[in-house]
Amino acid sequence: MSKRFLLTLILGLVALSIVPFAATAQMEKPKIGFLPGVVDPFYQVMEIGVNEAVADFGLEVVTQYPQTWGPSVQTPILEAMIARGDLDYLITAPTDKEQMIAPLQSAVDAGIKVITVDTFLGDGDYVNGPVTFPLSYIGSDNVEGGRIAARALAEVLGGKGKVYVQNTNVGVSTTEQRGQGFIEGISEFPEMELVGMDYNLDDANTAVEQTAAKLQAVPDLAGIFGVNVFSAYGAGNAVKAAGLEGKVQVIAFDATKDAIQNLRDGVVSLVIAQKPHDMGYLAVAFAMADWRGVTSIPKHVTTGYAVIDINNVDDPEVARFIYQVPGQ
Amino acid sequence: MAAESSSLAIASARTARQKQLVLIVSRVWAWVFLALLIAFFTASVFSTSGGSVNFLTLRNSQNILMAITPVLLMGLGQTFVIIAAGIDLSVGWVMGLASVISALVIADLVAQGMAETPAIVLGFVIGVIAAAIPGFINGVIIAKLRIPSFIVTLGMSFIARGISLLLSGGNVVIGQPPGVRAFGNESLLYLISGEGGGLYFLQRPNVTGEALQRLDRILPWPVVVTAIVVAIALFVLHKTQFGRHTYAIGGNREAALRAGVPVDRHIIMLYTLSGITCGIAGILHTARFNGGSSIAGDPLMLPSIAAVIIGGVSMFGGHGSVAGTVIGALIIAVLTTGLVMLNVQPFWQFIVVGIVVILAVLIDQARDLIIGRMESQG
Amino acid sequence: MEPMLSVRNLVKRFGGLVAVNRVSLDVYPGEVVGLVGDNAAGKSTLIKCVSGVYHAEEGEIYFEGRRVSFAAPIEARRAGIETIYQDLALAGNLDVPANIFLGREVKKRYLGGLIRTLDEDHMLRESQTVLNSLEIRFPSLTVPIDKLSGGQRQAVAIARALYWKAKFIIMDEPTNNLGVVEQRKVLELIRRLREQGVPIILISHTLPDVFAVTDRIVVMHRGRKVTEKRTAETNSQEIVQYMVGALDDTRAQLQEA
Repeated sequence: MSKRFLLTLILGLVALSIVPFAATAQMEKPKIGFLPGVVDPFYQVMEIGVNEAVADFGLEVVTQYPQTWGPSVQTPILEAMIARGDLDYLITAPTDKEQMIAPLQSAVDAGIKVITVDTFLGDGDYVNGPVTFPLSYIGSDNVEGGRIAARALAEVLGGKGKVYVQNTNVGVSTTEQRGQGFIEGISEFPEMELVGMDYNLDDANTAVEQTAAKLQAVPDLAGIFGVNVFSAYGAGNAVKAAGLEGKVQVIAFDATKDAIQNLRDGVVSLVIAQKPHDMGYLAVAFAMADWRGVTSIPKHVTTGYAVIDINNVDDPEVARFIYQVPGQ
Repeated sequence: MAAESSSLAIASARTARQKQLVLIVSRVWAWVFLALLIAFFTASVFSTSGGSVNFLTLRNSQNILMAITPVLLMGLGQTFVIIAAGIDLSVGWVMGLASVISALVIADLVAQGMAETPAIVLGFVIGVIAAAIPGFINGVIIAKLRIPSFIVTLGMSFIARGISLLLSGGNVVIGQPPGVRAFGNESLLYLISGEGGGLYFLQRPNVTGEALQRLDRILPWPVVVTAIVVAIALFVLHKTQFGRHTYAIGGNREAALRAGVPVDRHIIMLYTLSGITCGIAGILHTARFNGGSSIAGDPLMLPSIAAVIIGGVSMFGGHGSVAGTVIGALIIAVLTTGLVMLNVQPFWQFIVVGIVVILAVLIDQARDLIIGRMESQG
Repeated sequence: MEPMLSVRNLVKRFGGLVAVNRVSLDVYPGEVVGLVGDNAAGKSTLIKCVSGVYHAEEGEIYFEGRRVSFAAPIEARRAGIETIYQDLALAGNLDVPANIFLGREVKKRYLGGLIRTLDEDHMLRESQTVLNSLEIRFPSLTVPIDKLSGGQRQAVAIARALYWKAKFIIMDEPTNNLGVVEQRKVLELIRRLREQGVPIILISHTLPDVFAVTDRIVVMHRGRKVTEKRTAETNSQEIVQYMVGALDDTRAQLQEA
């Protein structure tokens, strides 16, 4: 019995070692690592962008998703990627702008150039800010995104009413800025009032729970802004569960399939889509440019937004910004 | 008659040998499994990368040691608690609480003009004490009010979560002096391999560029701290009266009580100890990530309990060892690192860890079953 | 001769139920007294009052001539009264020396007592000695006692009591759940303890065992002591009559009065 086990093991090892030799790396091309923040459709769409660029440039990519959001989960994966010793560039969404500085610094020390996508380190200013080692930050202007959301909500509500924000974690640069931008945007409308901002720790169930409580506490709530995938999902579902579709307007940040379905169902009035695909593609393109010796790579690029509503959702030019992973 | 008795003697000698074998297998399987895992990853990572990636490197060994520190520290306190037939479900958020409080204290003291080193030391000490308090309260409620540990520590987990989120405002607590990050990221030894290299003690060599890439940190401070805690735990559990009483309470609480073991006091000390090891994990998080985070420990709680179970600690109490927990934590960390280096979807890690946890318990039960059957036959 | 243990008019109530009703009992040095009775006769409650588990409402307990009142089992133990419970009160996951020394571990001191480790060698040697004195042989003392037979575990419990210089031993159903051979071994142990001069109260359902080792037999029925006989002067049938309440000396006394 033990012999058979040994044989199986050896066969397994042999099989594993033969298969990949077929695709041996081209050594003159850089090897890319892609380490998103967490598994969600946003990053999966970004991965499509990365993979497209990788194919276009004929490169190799190593992609690893953390199962949950946070430095204590992301860092061990990061270190294992560094330990591979064969990566030249790392495209990553830091799960904390402060806490991930030291771990990503060690990637740089190991000779890996870092490009941050979606989220950033320090204050995101890699020229004059506290953190300057990343090659570039490619992301949305999240403050602007928040303002866009506020103005859109104001328009739907006729410039007055009570609004509420479903946010994730305070330490996360992107969502923090969306919240901030939203507050700024709302302050442009004197008859609008922000009645609260809750943090769901990026958990849709918590978002449902908190939103449901808010709907109870503020019966005349007019609008909700969900700052990311799970927040909007939770907010939309809470509104649906309370039977308040159409009465409470939800603005969803991030164009997940679910958000789009909610848009079609009238639960969500407006979906603000980032361009994760473009972020992923651009990041690889920047890596390739750096590899070829280009020195003028911009330290900060914003990829802009697509605003999706019920009227343009079926327009192919807009629909391509929906976070849709083919086959899912 | 004589022939019969001699054949009986042979049979009993055979069962004795089989029993010995079963015992040995149940004791060493985790080590063998770890060795096989390392061998497997070494071979497969090397071959799948076409020889460009090596699993068995100095750097990677240090990575794995760094990766296990929080899981292992939480697991060490848990080992004591579970051996005494309890469980501590508050470890994750208590670790976060210690991280937040240590960072708040350090930031505040430095802002008030205290010198860096005393501020850091004081912050870390207060962080650990802050984690010991919920542990102490857990212990008092469990021992004196006889409420199941599962419930008390689950409640404490929420309380610690709430307090740490309140204190930090949900934010990562920043404003740490450079010494904090240095403690979390620098090491006892440095090795620059290859040309112009060498071994450096305590002082990080001031190199840049290509030489920096060849720089390996050996025994980072968090690993050193964890190793000291492991050594103390080994000593206390296996060599002292405290350890003996821990086993006795887990084996038969009533017997321990009647034998004059101060059971209540001991249980309070166990949960306090668990709080302290979480506290150490928390301050190490603050140091490593240069800030205090309330969510630092939550994702690590279940892996830490898994490590304890893989290490052979019985959930019914009375059995287990510190070495087992170390092996359990290593198995999980090797899996994580190995699967990432293999570039396999990391979700496989969950499945493999799950299988190993169940396997560990099965092996334990199979041992008792097989030996029990042998005895009833013999 | 002075009795080693003297219980005077002890009363223990649980709510309305009188579990022990004015029971008096004397045990003299070197004597084995059997305490028998049906279930719920009050044997265990009486014993628990003596060993400090329960606190009697009325009556007195004298041990070695002094009045005692134990607040906890540990106090009774300190005074020299060891109780070997039915469930043995051993930790099954620990080995023989660990159980014999449980709660009273012997330690080696380092750095002026700052660091103290268990002195395993000493505890193993001492365990071996005490087991030898009881003429008990184990294949190995360093296996968890879960792996030992019921009789061997009983022996460990008795050895523990003896090692700690018990002046007085109470045994609660020591031969329960044991095979015939093992039962005989345990009875052998009780005789050996008596030879060493340790008085014993033996609680048992098994009358043949009681007749095999005791000097006197006390029968309880519904909380009262219904008779007390020298073992040599009675027989099982008579004792059974007392146990089921068919005979009752106190009733006769009451009627005489």
